[in-house]
Amino acid sequence: MTDRGPGDHGPGDREPGDREPGDREPTDDERDASLRRLVEALAARGAVALRLEPPGLDRLLRSIAEATVALFDAEAASIALVDPDGRLRFRVAAGDQGAGVVGLVVEPGEGIAGFVLATSQPIAISDVATDPRFDREAAAATGYVPRSLLAVPLESGDRVIGVLEVLDRRGGNAFDLRDVSLAGVFARQAAIAIEVSRTERDVVELVAAGLAAAASAAGTSADGTVADVAEAPDWEAVAADAAARLATEVEPGFWDLVDRLARLRAADQDRVRLAIDVLDVALRHLARDRRSASPGRPTRGPSWRERAAFETE
Amino acid sequence: MTDVGTDRRPAWSEPFAPPNRAALGRSRPLPVDRAAAFGTADGRGVTVAIVDSGIEADHPAVGGRVVRHVRVDVVDGEPRVVEDDERVDAVGHGTACAGIVHALAPAADLVSVRVLGSDNRAPGLLFAAAIEWVVEQAIPVANLSLSSRKEALFGAFHHLADDAYFANTLLVCAANNLPGPSYPSLFASVVSVAAHDVPDPWTWFYNPRPPVEFGAWGVDVPVAWKGGGRIVATGNSLAAPHIAGLAALLRSAHPSASPFELKALLAATATPDSEI
Repeated sequence: MTDRGPGDHGPGDREPGDREPGDREPTDDERDASLRRLVEALAARGAVALRLEPPGLDRLLRSIAEATVALFDAEAASIALVDPDGRLRFRVAAGDQGAGVVGLVVEPGEGIAGFVLATSQPIAISDVATDPRFDREAAAATGYVPRSLLAVPLESGDRVIGVLEVLDRRGGNAFDLRDVSLAGVFARQAAIAIEVSRTERDVVELVAAGLAAAASAAGTSADGTVADVAEAPDWEAVAADAAARLATEVEPGFWDLVDRLARLRAADQDRVRLAIDVLDVALRHLARDRRSASPGRPTRGPSWRERAAFETE
Repeated sequence: MTDVGTDRRPAWSEPFAPPNRAALGRSRPLPVDRAAAFGTADGRGVTVAIVDSGIEADHPAVGGRVVRHVRVDVVDGEPRVVEDDERVDAVGHGTACAGIVHALAPAADLVSVRVLGSDNRAPGLLFAAAIEWVVEQAIPVANLSLSSRKEALFGAFHHLADDAYFANTLLVCAANNLPGPSYPSLFASVVSVAAHDVPDPWTWFYNPRPPVEFGAWGVDVPVAWKGGGRIVATGNSLAAPHIAGLAALLRSAHPSASPFELKALLAATATPDSEI
C-alpha cells in the first residue's frame, strides 16, 4: 500500500530513533480524533454491510461446489472464474480430492477449462489418465489426476463468467449425455447467483470506500499515530453513534439503493434476470445511439464489423 | 414430452433418443441412397476448415493433411486473421475434431483456424472474424464446434451465415447445450448438430424440427488429443465434425453442390430408425 490514509496506522510504523527533527509525539487528543475517524468509518461500513447481508462470494462458490459433488456423487468439483485480465482462476473446490486445484490460473484458450470458457460448449472426458501429457501436467498442477471429467460453462445472461468442473463419479461410471445436460442447467442457476453476489460485493466495497474517503476528508490532516488505546473513550458508543448518524445524515437516495439491492438479493431468479435484461436493453440502446452515425454498406447495410462494435461484448 | 426432471434427458438430444427416432425416419425428403450420394468419395479436392483450438499437425490422427495454420489475433482492437507459425493446440480439442473429419474423409485437406488462445474477453468477435476468413478463402466446409450466445452479435452472425451460404461454404455447427441464443448454429442456412449415443460415425439422424437438425455420434467418442495422445470425450462439439466429415465426402463426390444441396443429401441419406 502506498497511499497512506488515516486508517493505516500500526505500532510498527515508526521507531523512536527514526524521528525527523521537528517531528513530535501526537497528543492524546490527536490520537483520539484519528481513532474516532477510523471507528466511525468502520461502523459505517458495518451498517451498510449488515443492511445488505451479502452472502460472501467464496462461501457461495463453496456451497455450489459442495452441491455439485452431492448432485453427481463425484469425488471432487471445482469452480474457476474469469479474472479481469481474461485468465481463469480456480477459486474453490469441494470433495476429498479437489483442494489442490485452488489458486491454479489457466491462460486463455488453454486446457479443457479454457476451451469451455471460450466456446460455451460443455464437454465430458473419460480415460484422461491414458493421455500421458495430460497426466503429467495435471499431476504437477494439482496433485490429483481424475479418470473422468465434466466441464460446463457458468453462463449469466449471454456472458460466460467461469467454468464448473466435476471430477470422477464415485463408482467409476463415466459422465454421460444426461450428466452434461443436468450440469448445464445447474451451472446456469449457479452463475446467476454468483453474478448477484458479485454485484453486491462490488457495491458494498464501493460504498465503504466512499464513506471512508468522506470520513477522512471531513477530519483534520493531522497524521496521528495510535500507540496506546488504554485510556480510550467508549468506542462502542462512538460506533453506535456513527451508525445512527449515518441513517439520518446520508441522503435518502443512498439507502433507497441499498434497500433495492437487498431486495434484489431476495428476489427469485426470474426477477433478477428481468432486471438484468432491462439493464441490457438500456445499455444496448445507449450503444446504438453512439453507433448511429456509422456509415452503411451500399447494398446490405453495415458490415458485421460495424454492427458488432468491439466494446459491446 | 419426457419429464426432464426425473429422466434427465437433455432437450437438444431428445429427438435422437431411441423412443423418438421413429418419428424422424418418416420425413426422408429425397429418394437418394448412400451409394448414389457418396459413391467412392474419400474427400479428395475438398478443404475442411477446423475453427477451434488449433491442430497438432504431426498427430497421427490427422495423417499429415493439415495444409495451413492461421489464427485470429486482436490488432488495434480489431480481430485479424494471421498465419499461425506456432501451430499448436493448447487444448487438444481442435486436433480431436480434425481427427474425426480425417477418419471419415482421409483425402480431404485440413486448415486450422485457431480462435482460442488470444483473448477470452471477446470470443464471439474472434469467432466471427474466423468465419469471415473461411468464406473469403472459399473453403467449402467449415467445422464450428463453438457458437456465440451474444444477442448483440445476432446481426453479425446472420450476415456471415448468409455470406457463407451464397459463397458455397457449408458451416457445420455444434448446437449449444442450453436454450437461448446460439449463433450461428440456430440459423437455417447452417447445419446444426447434437450428439447421439450410437457408437458409429456412419449413423446420423435428420430432424426436420428446430432447433437441431442433425444428430451424430457424440457420446464416448475416442478422439485424438494434444501431445500425440488420445482420450474418450462426450459433447455436441464431437458430434459436429462427424457431419463435417460426411459433408466433405459429399462435396468430393459432387464438387459443385451448394450448401442446401449438401444438406438435402445429408437428410436424404440419414439413418432410418429401423436400421438401429
